[in-house]
Amino acid sequence: MIEVLSSFCILVGLVFGFWGTSSLLGSRSVLFKLHNLSVSDTLGSISIIVGLLFLRPREWPLLLLAIISLMLWNTMLGYVLASCSSDAVKNQHDVLYFDPDFEIGDES
Amino acid sequence: MTSVMMTVLNIAIIAMTLSILIPMYAAWKDEDIWQTMLSMASISTKSSLIVLMLSVLRDDWMIGVSGVIMISVGNAGFMLLAHILKRMGEA
Amino acid sequence: MIGDVVLRLIIWFLLTANFTIANIVIGLLIAFLLPRSSASPERLKDLFQGIWKIILAIPQAYAEAVELILNPHTEEEIVMERVQLRRSPGLVFLDIFLITFTPKTTVLNYHEEGWYEVHQVRPRRRLP
Repeated sequence: MIEVLSSFCILVGLVFGFWGTSSLLGSRSVLFKLHNLSVSDTLGSISIIVGLLFLRPREWPLLLLAIISLMLWNTMLGYVLASCSSDAVKNQHDVLYFDPDFEIGDES
Repeated sequence: MTSVMMTVLNIAIIAMTLSILIPMYAAWKDEDIWQTMLSMASISTKSSLIVLMLSVLRDDWMIGVSGVIMISVGNAGFMLLAHILKRMGEA
Repeated sequence: MIGDVVLRLIIWFLLTANFTIANIVIGLLIAFLLPRSSASPERLKDLFQGIWKIILAIPQAYAEAVELILNPHTEEEIVMERVQLRRSPGLVFLDIFLITFTPKTTVLNYHEEGWYEVHQVRPRRRLP
């Protein structure tokens, strides 16, 4: 019974992982891929670790610590990547639209 | 652990190894640095997860501890790297 | 301050998984001796409320993930979300964590005036 439950959790994690990671191959924006990666990397990995937890309940402190650190760090990394990459995109646009070296007559 | 469960875990580890190949290919192909960072972060999480699964399969506590350390240190390193890249983009 | 110490003790015991007297003493010493910020006094009640909110967010995150897989969300948009003014750093962190943890939404930016810039995906609108 426990093994069926554990296999189910691991299978769900693998499905989430493959679905979210396959969006990396497309040509969408960074933020769109970030949403899908939060499905695959955070939720899929938590599901796999819960499956491992059913399998080996004796090591629960370590696996619980793994779940907690996975949740906290992956979410914070997602936020940092989102804010940093959106700032970078804004700066690129500033450079594109407000070129300080541009002078009238340069177009020729 | 029964031998059936060991087979399931073995198959799961092989599947995770296959799913690592996708972000590796994406990191090699992409020109944009942020897309590469996303792929690298995905590789880091997946490899630490493989280490954790291996520790359960082999019933080795020490490998598990190193897997947990990989999760937190790897992600923290990527956060610092993202900030450095942002500063370099501003300069 | 007491919340800080409790959090450190929890992490210490999860990491070591050892309840001998010596280990408890070492954990208490580390929890009290590590430097902590005196800027925002967090109460124990806030800490447990935050943990409870995070636990409640987990099933919601899984529901959103299943929704994302079954019903492709292809449209992206940026919305501004209003929150109360003058929140403590801990509460701001909790808000950003809860919004970013659910897969459909990600916080892009936090404005001091009480706005979050939230990026979200949604399904394509059906044409009538």
